[in-house]
This record gives sequence, structure tokens and C-alpha cells, in this order.
Amino acid sequence: MLSVQLFVTCLIDSFYPQVGEAVVNVFHRLGVDVDFPQDQTCCGQPNFNAGLREEAKPIAQHTIRVFEAVQGDVVIPSGSCAHTLRHNYAELFADDPIWLPRAQALAARTFEFTEYLVDKLGVTDVGACWDGPLTYHASCHLNRGISVDRQPRALLANVRGAEIRPLPEEYDCCGFGGIFSVEHPELSAEFLKRKIGNLESTQSPTLVVADTGCLMHIAGGLHRQQKTQRVVHIAEVLNNQ
Amino acid sequence: MNSDQFRQRIRVSLANEPLQEALDGNARRRVGARVSAFGSLPDWPERRQRAHAVRADVIEHLDSYLEQFIHNAQTNGITVHRAQDAAEAVSIILKIIDDSPRKGEENQKDIRVHPRSSASRLVAKSKSMISEEIDLNHALAAAGHRAVETDLGEYIVQLRGERPSHIITPAVHLRRSDVAKLFHEQLGIPYTEDIPTLTNTARKVLREVFLTADVGLSGVNFGVAETGGICLVTNEGNGRMVTTLPRTHIALMGMERLVPSLNDLALMLTLLPRSATGQKLSVYTQLIHRPMDGQQRHLVILDNGRSRLRNSPLRESLYCIRCGSCLNACPVFRELGGHAYGAVYSGPIGSIISAGLFGSEYAPLAQASSLCGACKDACPVDIDLPKLLTRVRAGQAEKEGKKRKEGEGLAAPLKLGLQAFSLAARAPRLFAASQKLAALGTGLVSPFSAWMRLPAVTGWGYSKDFPKFAGKPFRERFVRQAAKHAKVFEARKNEETLHAAEEVLRSAQNDMNMAMRFTEELTALGGHVIPTQDATASMIEFLRARVVDRIHLEPHTLDESALLAAGITVTHEPDPAVRVGVTKALRGLADTGSVLVVDGEGHPLEASLLPEVHLVLLRASDILPSLENAIHLLKEARAAAVITGPSRTGDIEMTLTIGVHGPGEIHVFLVENR
Repeated sequence: MLSVQLFVTCLIDSFYPQVGEAVVNVFHRLGVDVDFPQDQTCCGQPNFNAGLREEAKPIAQHTIRVFEAVQGDVVIPSGSCAHTLRHNYAELFADDPIWLPRAQALAARTFEFTEYLVDKLGVTDVGACWDGPLTYHASCHLNRGISVDRQPRALLANVRGAEIRPLPEEYDCCGFGGIFSVEHPELSAEFLKRKIGNLESTQSPTLVVADTGCLMHIAGGLHRQQKTQRVVHIAEVLNNQ
Repeated sequence: MNSDQFRQRIRVSLANEPLQEALDGNARRRVGARVSAFGSLPDWPERRQRAHAVRADVIEHLDSYLEQFIHNAQTNGITVHRAQDAAEAVSIILKIIDDSPRKGEENQKDIRVHPRSSASRLVAKSKSMISEEIDLNHALAAAGHRAVETDLGEYIVQLRGERPSHIITPAVHLRRSDVAKLFHEQLGIPYTEDIPTLTNTARKVLREVFLTADVGLSGVNFGVAETGGICLVTNEGNGRMVTTLPRTHIALMGMERLVPSLNDLALMLTLLPRSATGQKLSVYTQLIHRPMDGQQRHLVILDNGRSRLRNSPLRESLYCIRCGSCLNACPVFRELGGHAYGAVYSGPIGSIISAGLFGSEYAPLAQASSLCGACKDACPVDIDLPKLLTRVRAGQAEKEGKKRKEGEGLAAPLKLGLQAFSLAARAPRLFAASQKLAALGTGLVSPFSAWMRLPAVTGWGYSKDFPKFAGKPFRERFVRQAAKHAKVFEARKNEETLHAAEEVLRSAQNDMNMAMRFTEELTALGGHVIPTQDATASMIEFLRARVVDRIHLEPHTLDESALLAAGITVTHEPDPAVRVGVTKALRGLADTGSVLVVDGEGHPLEASLLPEVHLVLLRASDILPSLENAIHLLKEARAAAVITGPSRTGDIEMTLTIGVHGPGEIHVFLVENR
């Protein structure tokens, strides 16, 4: 029996536990066992991106230790956290002969959720249904950072009843960027305004993302502007029957 | 510039409606143009990686490539100077100018809007970022010289007393009405927003500058180590003017701008114009090896922090070929424009090299990025710009050997918050307890909603609401269960990317008739192709129709006695009064519609530059598939120009305008194979 280790990410853990549950359900339905190492916390991305590398290192080391203790592939339902494990850890430990190989070994068995379904399991139809239009935002670190774009689209294309509408400027950043959204709120707001405008132009009531950072950001903007559109994680769509 | 000053500049940009409109236009058009230009180069991902490798090799072995380049340039008769810093570069340039011969009586004439004293020299400048970097215009003015920017966009910003706001499109921040007002006030023409009229006004004023300038000053796009040649890529024709007409030419280049060979140059030239302006080739691709008759050529090679940058973690930023595509792709640049960065180099690459070259005062620039990676995607040499931005944030931009602090550009409260977060994130129980506490806290703050409205000062609260922490986090909800049905999956490998497109291109290129492709490409650029069996007869017919009775003719191109018999007189010398120049083409290039014009007897470079109309004689059998097949033919030329369509500019509102400083018309008389 195939089994995966879920690195659920701190945002899903703290704010969107239902997304984590959706991931588990999708795997179970496909006959894949899911384990959740309880000692996991955050991947350290906020500190790394802010330039606080000395503080990102212990978090990265903690994460490496947690997943070294377990067998199997590590699956992350977030493009930017997967990007952190795959690329930023190697950058962080570039001059460290002990931690670099350990970071690389973890990177080699780390996959983003949709990437794992499509490229590792060979599944593009998980038997999901959705009633009505959906539109998809290609998160930056998912699409450009780890080159995962066709996978979520292939999965969405096979959701019964869903009408997938193209989002104008779908590859543009929503303005989250972690620390950027707090440090440069005016800039972040401009990106968000454009993203919401594009979403509205599709007349789709639901926006799908595969990264909870973007989800939290766009949903927060929609709520502030009292818009009716919803933002969902792709796992929630794939879990819908 | 500290964080607060930068933030203030950001607000100014965001509040400037016309600027926002102009920048939106820039982003849309430039990105669209780049994408469609790369559509004609299906193997570009592979070329991009090759270009990355070429630049990496150059920077790795910079000392030996520089030595080879300088040796060859000197052998070619170019005087080479090296400057450690801006001050040294300025003093070298001032010395060259002081020693330069004056052009004769006509340069004493008062040039409108640029009056000058009899003691000064007139310096005609084409675009050079190095000139901006060393603040040359102020130094020239202080020394009593008149420096005139001749690129249309640069000319406009110079008249306004500003700096360029974009590497490629210096006046991107202005609308046509701004230019109309400027020209009305400063050049005394009636107010008009007609872009061709505005462009033509600049052409007239600047033509006088080209013809009377004592010194021409240019930048350098690439230096070629194996030949000692310099390559300049321009569209308007001013680059060709300032490097050809004045008796002294000074080229300024950053020490990193080398390629090893002509083949590498050909590769770069497939990427640079596509990335910069969405052109397959720029209108004028010049290759300069030796001085013209009676001319002195100087090359000033600038370090100014590059050696230090090369030995720092920001080394990869030296791979940059200054195409500006990361600026066009950047969502932050789209909001700010170049001026808000307060640095010579703006956008993603500017946020890295400004801190790397000029010091920590520019560290806050790198904070203004969501690390979205659009810049890396757009970069023709695949520089990992987001990675370098995080390195600047991590204090890795060293200055004078001093290691800097991590997160020095970061606001203090954020830094404290992240430090506390880091402590929790390495201790799972503390992390879980903090989660519970946060859930409790947010539950108290906002008992009836899933959302909290934070004050704007938190940053987040400025434009969005914050979700409440979940009462029960995932870690408490997760219960390990066996999967419901046991299905066994074989782990599969990623699918290989297909290179089918490449195959299609190869066969298409083979099949396509070169002359047809050439005609198609040149016609698309606004040039004309006239197939003929007898070039002299066809040109006489053309000249008669235009009522032209005097031409600047490259010798051994047409039957001169036939021309005389038809009442057309011929000169072999540059003459500003002549309206039509006729040259041969050494070769034509099918994939870009270009012609190669090489310096020689009878001043063909001037004949193809000064007149309004350029007529070219090209044999159909001389058409090659692309520049890569022809570039080695230029090795022996004193100077050469690859001409791709009529002179053009997009400097005012990015509206394509034909005929700036070079000919507005190009007609290729294609002599068919017998």
C-alpha cells in the first residue's frame, strides 16, 4: 500500500484545517495512506523570504529532522512551501556540508499535492463533481517556482459539472508574497485590486487556487470589499462528490 | 534612501494617474510583444540556457576575456581606457574631450536650445546607462561642454531635466501631451500631439547636432573578445550617427559586457531585441572594429564595483544584458515606474545591482517584491532574480568588504515578529500552544465572524480582512486511518517535454524560399522589396518617379554612365543635402528581412544613414537564413551595420513612428538569380 507523509503547512493547519482534511480524503479515495508527523510546524519560508536566514535555518533543520524520521514521499498542498523545501533549503545550506545533503535528500522526495497526483500517481480524474463555473489562479511559486501548472489544470478539467473559465492575467501575482503583503500594503493592494477585477470579469462565483497564501490574501480582499465570490483550495474541489 | 523615503516615493507613484496609465500600457504592450517575438523562435528555451552558460563563462573567466578583448581592440586601433570608479571614468572622458579636435567652423554656430560658448565642445550622445551611472552629463556641463542626448526618449527627459525612467524606454512615464507641451515651450513649435510631427521636430534639431558635434558618445551592448569589436543595437539611427560622424567617438562599457565569440554574439542577438522591444532584430545592429578615416575611437571600460559584485553572492546579476524585460514583467515596476527606485537601474535587476554596486542605502528596494518570479521567467539569460533578491534581503550585498546584517531593509516590528515566529516554529509544542492561544485571542476579538478587520497600520488591514484562527487546528483533527480501498499505484516518472516544435521549425526553414521569407519579413517592418533583372534601370525608374536627380552612391553598385545619361548626378561623399543613398548589401537575412552594409569605398555607412531614403542592391543568391550564418563575414569590416527595416522609435507612448534619425524608407532591389 502506497503511503505519503503530509506536510500540511502552517496556514492550513492554523486557518484552513478543512483543506487538510480534503487532501486526506482525496488520497484515501485513491487508496493511498496518509500519515501526519505531529511535530511539523512551518517550513520557515516567512523568515527565509524576509532575509532572516539565520532564523530560517533552525526551522528548516527542524522540518528536515521531522521528515527524516519517517518513510515515503512528502506531499505539500501548497506551491510556495513545496518551493521552499525544494529550492530554498539548498540555498540556505549551500555552504553546509552536513545539512546540504540532508536538505537535498528531503527535496528529492517532496511533491506538491497536484503534482503528486498527476505525475507520481498518474491520476487526472479523482471522480470529483462541481456544480457551476470555476476559474483558476496560477500561484507564482507553484507555476514559476516549481513549474507545476498543467497538473492542477488537468485535474480541474476532469471535474464533472465544472465549467472552467479562463482568468485574465491568470499568471500575475495576487500581491500576497508573504511579508510583502504587510510590508508594502499599498503595492500589495494594487495587485489584489487587479486580481479581483479579473476574477469579476469571469463572472465565476468561485476561484480555485493551489496555495493557501493566495487563498487567504484574495479571500481577505474579497471579504473587505464585501464581494460574494469564494476562494477555495483545489483539494476542496477534488474532494467534492 | 531609507525605507520611509522609498515608501513615500511609492505613494507618489501610485497617486500619479497618468503614470499608472502609461505603466499599464507599457506592461501590456511590451509583454505581449515579447511573447509574440519569441513565437518565431521555437527553440528559445534551449537558446536561453545556452546564453546563460555563455554569460556564466564570461563572468567566471572575466579577466582573461577582458585581456583578450582589450588586446584585440587595441590592435584594431581603438584606444582603450580602464576606470576603477565613476570619478576616474569621468576624468578620462573629460581628458579625451579636451584633447579632441574641433570640427571646424560650423560648430561655432549657435544651435537652438543648446547655445554654447566658444570654449566648449559639442558632445552628441546616444543611449548609455554607464553615462547615467557615472552621472556624466553633470560633469560635462560643469566642464563647460554641451552634451545632447540624441535618443528621442533620452532627449525628451534631458529637456525636462529628468533621468530616464526605463532602460529601454526612457520616457515611458510621459504621455504625448507632456511631450507636446515640452516641445512647444522649449523648441518653439506650435502645440501638437501628433507623434510623427513631434518626432520630426526632434529629427531636425538633432540632425544639426549630429553634423556639428565634435565628439560622439555611445554605450556598448556587447564587446566581442575574439575580435575586439563592439556591438551596438539601436532603432532610431542616432547610435550610428554618433559613432560615425564626429571625429572623436567615445564608447562606454561596463566591464562585464563581453561575449567570447561572434557566434555567441549572434546567439545573444536572437534574444536581446526580442526581450527588449519584441523585435526579431533591432533596426540597426552595428559591429565596429576600427576607427573611420580621420577618426579617433576610444573605449572606456568601467569597473565601479563590478569586480566586488563578481566576488559576491550576487555574481549572477552580472550576467544581465540590459534588455529591460524584467522591468516590463515586474508587477511592482508596473506600479512604480523607474523614478521611484531613486537609482540609475530600476526594476528587479536594479533592486539587486543598486545594492550590490552602490551600497546598503539601496537595500530597501529589494523588499518591494512579492518574489513572484515573473522577472526570472522573462529574463533572456535566465538569471534567478528572486533568489538574488532574497540574498540582498539577507544582507549579502557587500560594500567595502563589510558583511551586512540580515534583514537590514526590513521594518523593525516585522523583524521582531518573525524572530518570535522562528522560535515557535522550531519547537512543536510551543508552536501548538501559540496556535491555540491565537485561536482563543482571535475568537475574543471577533466572536461573530470568521474574519477580523485589522487596522491599516498592520499592513494587512490596509486592503484585506484577516481570517480567524481555526478553533481546532488540523493537527488536532487528524486521525490516522487506512485508505478505504486498496489500490496500488506504480510511481511514474515525469513525462519528458517534447521538442516537436523544434522539428517543425527545422523543416519549415529548409522548405521556405529565402527570397520570399526575406520579402515577407522586410515588408512587415514597413520596408519594400522590388524584384528586378536590371538594378540600374529599376533604380532610375524609381528616382524619376520621386523627381530625384542627385544621389549618394556606393561605387561599383550601379552603372554610373547610365545614371548620368538619365540626368542623375552622383556623389561618393556624405552630403546632408542628398535625399537618396544607394548601397550594396553584402548579404540579406531571410528570417529578419535584414541587409548587411559594410564600410568601404564611397562611405556606404553614411549613404545608408544620412538620406531620407535608402536604396539597396541585394542579389537573391546572397540571402542567408539568419544572422548566425552571416556574422563571421563582418569580422574583417572596419565597421558594419545590419539594417532591419526603416529607422523607428517607440519612445512616445510606445507608438511606433517610422523615420527618426536614419532613413524613413528602405527599398531593396532584389536582383534575381539568372
